[in-house]
Amino acid sequence: MTSATVGAGLGSYILFNVTGTTYALPSADVRHMEMVEDITRVPNAPSFVDGVVFSRGQVVPVINLRARFGFDRAPYDLKTRLVVVRSSGRTIGLLVDSAREFVSIPPGAVQPPHEALAGMSGRYVEGVASLGDRLILILNLERILSFADPLPADPAA
Amino acid sequence: MAPEGAPLDEVSFSDFLDDYFAECDEHLIGVRRLLLSLETSIGRDAINRPVLDDLFRHFHSLKGISGMVEVRPAEELAHRLEDYLRALRTGGAALTREGLDALFAGTQTLEQVIAARRGGVPLPSIEAIADRIGRVLAAGAAGDVTAPERAAADHPGTGGARRWQITFTPSQELVARGVRVDTIRRRLSSAGEIVAAAPRVTAEGTIAFDFVFAGELDEASAAAWPQDGIQIEPIADAPAPLDAVPDPIEPLLIDAESTSSAGALAPSHVVRVDLTRLDDLMRNVGDLVISRARLGETLARVEQRLAAADWRAIQENAVTIDRQLRTLREGIMRVRLVPVGEIFRRMPFVVRDLARETGKRVRLELQGQATEIDKFLIERMMDPVLHLVRNAVSHGIETSEERIAAGKRPEGTIVLSAATAGDIVRVEIADDGRGVDAAAVIARAHAAGLSVAAGLPDAAALLGLICSPGFSTRDRSDRASGRGVGMSVVKAAVDELSGAMAMETEPGSGTKFIIDLPVTLSITDALIAKAGGETYAVPQGAVREVMEISIAALLQVERIEMIPYRGAALPVVRLSRLLGLAESPRDRLHLFVVGSGGSALGIAVDRIVGQREVVVRAINDPLVRVDGISGATDLGDGHVVLILDPAVLARTLRERPDRVCAAGGAGR
Repeated sequence: MTSATVGAGLGSYILFNVTGTTYALPSADVRHMEMVEDITRVPNAPSFVDGVVFSRGQVVPVINLRARFGFDRAPYDLKTRLVVVRSSGRTIGLLVDSAREFVSIPPGAVQPPHEALAGMSGRYVEGVASLGDRLILILNLERILSFADPLPADPAA
Repeated sequence: MAPEGAPLDEVSFSDFLDDYFAECDEHLIGVRRLLLSLETSIGRDAINRPVLDDLFRHFHSLKGISGMVEVRPAEELAHRLEDYLRALRTGGAALTREGLDALFAGTQTLEQVIAARRGGVPLPSIEAIADRIGRVLAAGAAGDVTAPERAAADHPGTGGARRWQITFTPSQELVARGVRVDTIRRRLSSAGEIVAAAPRVTAEGTIAFDFVFAGELDEASAAAWPQDGIQIEPIADAPAPLDAVPDPIEPLLIDAESTSSAGALAPSHVVRVDLTRLDDLMRNVGDLVISRARLGETLARVEQRLAAADWRAIQENAVTIDRQLRTLREGIMRVRLVPVGEIFRRMPFVVRDLARETGKRVRLELQGQATEIDKFLIERMMDPVLHLVRNAVSHGIETSEERIAAGKRPEGTIVLSAATAGDIVRVEIADDGRGVDAAAVIARAHAAGLSVAAGLPDAAALLGLICSPGFSTRDRSDRASGRGVGMSVVKAAVDELSGAMAMETEPGSGTKFIIDLPVTLSITDALIAKAGGETYAVPQGAVREVMEISIAALLQVERIEMIPYRGAALPVVRLSRLLGLAESPRDRLHLFVVGSGGSALGIAVDRIVGQREVVVRAINDPLVRVDGISGATDLGDGHVVLILDPAVLARTLRERPDRVCAAGGAGR
């Protein structure tokens, strides 16, 4: 499952879907992907955290990207995936609707996000790339993982 | 770690450096202890000789091992310190206050050099301190006979005899033939006098012993000596050509069978093990415990389908494995335990320095130094304990004048103690000083913008304020109060180790900090409970009693539920409410009683389903680090089960009773 990350150089991305939109993260940041079995809820954790799972012997928090981007949660199904990423020494799982592609995006194809595209997930989008007829939103991992962020579209916060 | 005779390059240099640092620690601890006991010798002619001998040996070893790993400033500085010690030992210099201070300062710089090398940062300069030691050495020796002359005069009997430099290099082969350093020592003693003896670590990383021998060697028998690993060289007329000591040191504390490249002066039969290797072992055992749990579950399923005769033998084996696992686990844990004295031994040094700096008179009492605690915990408790001891000197103990005016003894006392109680190690730092000034704490808390509850705070509330980030009762420039770290750091360290801290204070008579720590981490016995459809583990050590209660027995007192318990009322909190879980209607609940006295609390769960040995996994990410949850475990099915921390839950409840009714979950 991580074979595509081996030797992944600049411009290699993993693609995944959340509410029908295609997002991308540099494959160098992605450790591996997992099917989702059961997630243990953690009381009093931030609202976008579904809980924790064991991943390779480690307790890993699960961020629900739907919740993080301010969309409604969807029930987990067979296509639901946990994208386990690593950033600044932290290992975290991102829960996405589906994921299975690795693509190469040449640096020149990445544009800064323009205002019209900045929807609910806009604050986490770093760039936009078109691949054929698809539009891909490239995410800023650090902003997604940031704890101090105010939670958009979350009246409880 | 290298076997005798193994070339250095067989061992990786970083392993070797680890050994070096560990060795340095041992010597420096020894040096500190000895320096403190030297203080009583100032100005006296008869200095405690064994103390000087030991000090000399430590510096000598530090010099040798530092040279070997090419930490030149440490080598040079240890050499200077050794020089001064030699002058003191041979009576060429008297121990003055200046001299002792130079020894202390030199040791401190030596520590800094070694710490800098360990941290990979630029080494501090040793020039100033080396000069200082040179000056006290010159001052001490002036007007007296010079050290070498005196040394020679100390050995009138050997004046005429020929001197030989004898080097013995032990090897496994020699040990097998019964040739050890003691053999050589006896052989030399029978033929003359051993003037000096010292071990050293050779450039190859092996150990060798240098002797200076005075007497006549029988050429015929000496010819066979090289076969026994002995080299002989005559010494031209000079008093003591070696760096070694000018008279025999007995005993040398060396066991040739257990000598290792870095263990020249370490006690025999001791193996130094890298902590990460023990961690790996511990993890392996943890995996075994989980596999065993899986086996248990499979077995339970099999038992329902097969006749007892078919599975009984398997079950017996499983029980045996259980017992063996427990023994294995306990064995590994015992290996990880070290005496808490490792922390304590540094404290007299700190107290002495700080007392002199602040002009106070302080006596430090150490108790329970042999109490054992996990190595992992020791390393992380060093700074917090250091900080509390510093605080006790600089904030707790009053000046002599103040103490006399208050009718106390002029000298303040700090008691640092450790004791084991079950799975808990309790460390206490108590002073007989002025106590915590509640009014000053509150004023300071207000000034720092902290929220302060109305009314007179109790000790727990005071501690809470003192431990708030941003709180410090003294100027930030006050060195003793701790280099920009405050009590909040102490508390964070204790929390991180799943420990608990409490404070007792009495105005005018003193303050005591009490830190409870688990003896070891990693694996613990836990009660497994269900609440609101979730499974939780509760460390058994925290649970005083388990009860089954009827919901009807719960009495509603304002917003809190209580239950009669041992002639008093016990507040009860339902875990499902505390954690914001779905609640299913039921008649009976199980209750964990945690805490004692006024802070006792009942935590109600749907039911307790069993007791298990669980492997504790840390929860590190800030996203899921939540008060009241100390870790996670796996009961064998790969599902994460959270481990509750009842003490923190109880505290949360005291501080935020509203949380009991809040629907936990969303949006912090």
